[in-house]
Amino acid sequence: MTAHSVGIELVGVAKNFGGRAALAPLTLTVAPGEVVALVGPNGAGKSTTLRILAGVIHASAGAARVAGWDVAAEPLRARLHLGYLPQRLGVPLATVVGDLARLVAAARGLPADAGAQALADAGLGDRLDATLAQMSGGQRQRVLLALATLGPVQALILDEPSISLDTAGAEDVREAIRAARRRGAAVLFASHHLNDVAQLADRIAVMVDGRVVACGTVPELAHAAGVAWIERATEPLIERVYRALVRGAPLRVVREGAA
Amino acid sequence: MTRAALVRFEWAAARRGRIVPLFAAGFALAAVGVALAGLSAGGVVTVQGFARTSVSLLQLTLWTVPMLGLLLGAVQGAECQELEFLAALPAPRARLVFGRWAAWTLALTTALLVGFGAAGVVIGALAGAADVLRYLGLIGIATLLLAAGLALGLWIGVAARSRARAVGVAVAVWFVLVIGADLVAIALLAVLPAHDATWSLTALLVANPVDGARALGLGLFGADVVAGPTGAALRRLLGGQGALLLTASLVAWIVVPLRLAGRRFARQDL
Repeated sequence: MTAHSVGIELVGVAKNFGGRAALAPLTLTVAPGEVVALVGPNGAGKSTTLRILAGVIHASAGAARVAGWDVAAEPLRARLHLGYLPQRLGVPLATVVGDLARLVAAARGLPADAGAQALADAGLGDRLDATLAQMSGGQRQRVLLALATLGPVQALILDEPSISLDTAGAEDVREAIRAARRRGAAVLFASHHLNDVAQLADRIAVMVDGRVVACGTVPELAHAAGVAWIERATEPLIERVYRALVRGAPLRVVREGAA
Repeated sequence: MTRAALVRFEWAAARRGRIVPLFAAGFALAAVGVALAGLSAGGVVTVQGFARTSVSLLQLTLWTVPMLGLLLGAVQGAECQELEFLAALPAPRARLVFGRWAAWTLALTTALLVGFGAAGVVIGALAGAADVLRYLGLIGIATLLLAAGLALGLWIGVAARSRARAVGVAVAVWFVLVIGADLVAIALLAVLPAHDATWSLTALLVANPVDGARALGLGLFGADVVAGPTGAALRRLLGGQGALLLTASLVAWIVVPLRLAGRRFARQDL
């Protein structure tokens, strides 16, 4: 495999916390230019999966790769191609935005003002001297999102990116995901906002108790869940599919590429 | 490149807080207070010279500087667990720890220099510049002790993972280093034959950065005979080479905990 043929790849990745299996062996790929969403109830293993890919926690078994680089064996090369937006802030609140922008640019080998330019492009050029503590939750998220996508990022990993955002902020996140897809980046994100998921994702992986119970497009998942496609539905199809899959409706797991 | 960028990033955060001016003022007040207090007992308030002030300041330094370094290091180390965004950047994780240590060492050394420096100006103006080099030596020893305390505190913080636990362990370690080690030395003196005790006490001196700094500080004034049982043992065993050994041991107390903290942080789940 070349370094660029697969954006994100998980092969038999498992994670145990103490004696508890948080993630059963999981295999999933995200192609360049593809957007895959992880959905599922709290504790399903979505964040664990993303954090293993980001190198923040270590897999107990299996291999996780970003742009072809193994995150355990070649962590720096993998992270050079990775943009990661954690669910928690992940930076001290007292951090000044401009300092953080310079650090991210330096870490990615970019000119010192590249981070400031990215923030200006995101409409945050006037907040370089502010601390994260002085910003709203939505602004912080936009800052970190702009910096996470800085440079030639080939894989973007977002953990609940729309959490705590207002409508405009959520639209910024959606646009960042679309922009990453247009650039050919592989995008894997976890979300509880099923409408976002349905709008953005090319495929959806439904996780329950550390396992992917189904993966495919919305119609494929609807088929697997036995949910009929009704044109004038009283609730969005994705909501019904999700409820059916998570509550243990009879499943036929849709394999990748299957109709 | 990333190492320098991380130090700059952490330095920017460290100097922006209130800790640096607060501790600079504290160090200055302590130094001027000690310089004034020593000679005020006879009813006349005057200023002691650098030599007497330094000897008086040494004990204060040995109690407060390790506490400061250990506590701040422990808090900073525990906070490393929360740096998920930074940990996912393409930089070795150990550098995050090194950057924190370097920035806080720089910040607190600045506070130390500003505080003791301001007091030094007052002492020099009122009592003359004699023995100023010994005063500078004391600042050097305090800086080494501070850097060692921060490194040890960072290791504790990274290993403890929670701020409360890290602070608790740091206080316990401070107690062992400042008081416990001397109790062990006294016990060794009581139970071991003289030759064995000399080796054991010298080892204890090297193994405890606070005792090492104390012996080094008293050596500055030719007063290592009063450096307690461990200092006397060192003098008997090593003679003039003792200062080099003690300085090397203090440097080791910086390098080893820092490397252990970096390695631990690189391997653990955040």
